[in-house]
Amino acid sequence: MAETGVSLPPLPVPDELTKPFWDAAREGRLHIQRCQACRRYYHPPQVICPKCVSSSLEFEAVSGKGTIHSFSVMRDQRVQGFEEKVPYITVLVELDEQPLLTIVTNLPDAAPEDVRTGLRVEVWFERLTDEITLPQFRLAR
Amino acid sequence: MSRLKDKVAAVGVGYSAIERTSSRSLGALTMEAIRRAVEDAGLAIEDIDGLATFPEIPVFGNPHVDGVDVVSTSYMVRMLGLEGRLRWHTQTDNLVPNTFIETANAVAAGACDYAVIFRAMHNPGGRYNAYTSNLAVGRHQFTAPYGSHRGYQYYGSAYQRYMHLYGATREHMATLILNNRRNAHLNPNAYFRDVPLTKEDYMNARMLADPVCLLDCDIPVDGAAAIVLTSGERARALPNAPAYVAGYGQFSSPSLSMGPPLEHLVEGATAVADRMWEAAGIGPGDIRLAQFYDGYSFFVYFWLEACGFCKVGEAFEFIQDGRIELEGELPVNTFGGQLGEGRLHGMGHLAEAVLQTSGRAGERQVRSVDATLAAVGPMNGGSAAIVFTREPV
Repeated sequence: MAETGVSLPPLPVPDELTKPFWDAAREGRLHIQRCQACRRYYHPPQVICPKCVSSSLEFEAVSGKGTIHSFSVMRDQRVQGFEEKVPYITVLVELDEQPLLTIVTNLPDAAPEDVRTGLRVEVWFERLTDEITLPQFRLAR
Repeated sequence: MSRLKDKVAAVGVGYSAIERTSSRSLGALTMEAIRRAVEDAGLAIEDIDGLATFPEIPVFGNPHVDGVDVVSTSYMVRMLGLEGRLRWHTQTDNLVPNTFIETANAVAAGACDYAVIFRAMHNPGGRYNAYTSNLAVGRHQFTAPYGSHRGYQYYGSAYQRYMHLYGATREHMATLILNNRRNAHLNPNAYFRDVPLTKEDYMNARMLADPVCLLDCDIPVDGAAAIVLTSGERARALPNAPAYVAGYGQFSSPSLSMGPPLEHLVEGATAVADRMWEAAGIGPGDIRLAQFYDGYSFFVYFWLEACGFCKVGEAFEFIQDGRIELEGELPVNTFGGQLGEGRLHGMGHLAEAVLQTSGRAGERQVRSVDATLAAVGPMNGGSAAIVFTREPV
């Protein structure tokens, strides 16, 4: 922000579709949307289940455990608020609940050389504001 | 099978100057490209009765001002003085090959006689496509708060997985990058026409997001290109050898997962390629050369595999040993790709397919081009592929 000279990372703006995800995160829980008819999970959330066209979609708690599907080590200053964080890791985590049920996250505690495809990871929660808490991941112990 | 055979041909190609930052407006560059394409076809602007584009600027937060950072169909209709003449026009979403396909179908249906497809791209300057908001709304809310925004991060992650699964290295990729640059040296339109590149340059290039370096990314430019389509019958009365539209494949469902994961990119490209082969009634063995979208270098691997030129996980080996050079078994991105020519967002691939099929690619012309293809897009939603043939079979 120009006034303070401090550049803030983009803050999520929950909407009608995504509010339950962020409400749960604020309580320290990872909830992922699930079709109540065919039991399929979706992230990002859907309005109608693209597989069975049911409109009965609810958020359910998931284990918060998964595997590194792929990753990138960002070295370029191209996202506001992350200028001082480079290099940082962005990871595509495949959650245990369903093949290719993926979530984008960082691994703030890991060094780039410690990250490999296939490593096990688990969720933790990074509180950003009173309203917004960000699900984050770390290498499983 | 395709209903287009013998019905539609590309007969003219035109480029504006391609510059990193032009002193002229995007509107002026687009007019230049269209005028050159129409002249190349042996026509006059007054002959044009169809016009189409895909006008988006894929850059975060850009204002979309007509003639400045985008160029719409309606803007060009006015600038070209075609208001009283136009019989058909459209703007499509989902990348310019889809615009091309819409236009081919319009010509085949008789909705217009001589149609121009154009694509204008603007480089707004500064840090290209930086995320410059302190809020993350809509689809950004699950990515930007993690500092993930650029394609070289999320598509780059798919490439990281590809490398992990199959053993591809940056050294393998250097072959593709250098092949592109050599071809760009033979392309008068190419931004990098006169800029040499060595393997060391590639290996030492600045890493943007591992495993992607600066030279894996196309270069944003100010520029435009245009292609003229008409019926097969009308094409035969014009000066250039027609490039017949033999068939196409389009539409793959966008991934429902975050990422998108490599597996969904492969799925999307395969769906497009399968439809393309079915429509064209030919296969990989009939193709003399190919243009594969290279907004990021590694997309070429995914297209090569999806189109069946090699098996999944083998493209990084397939491109070695001169196979994709101009003299090779399957010349690839003979115009330099958009890594070498500049970021025209797939329009360069279509233009080159037309020029090679027509036998008009100058110094870089490949001999005996009976059939070629252009496959454009980042695999998942929005990608399309088109086969061109020299004969109207």
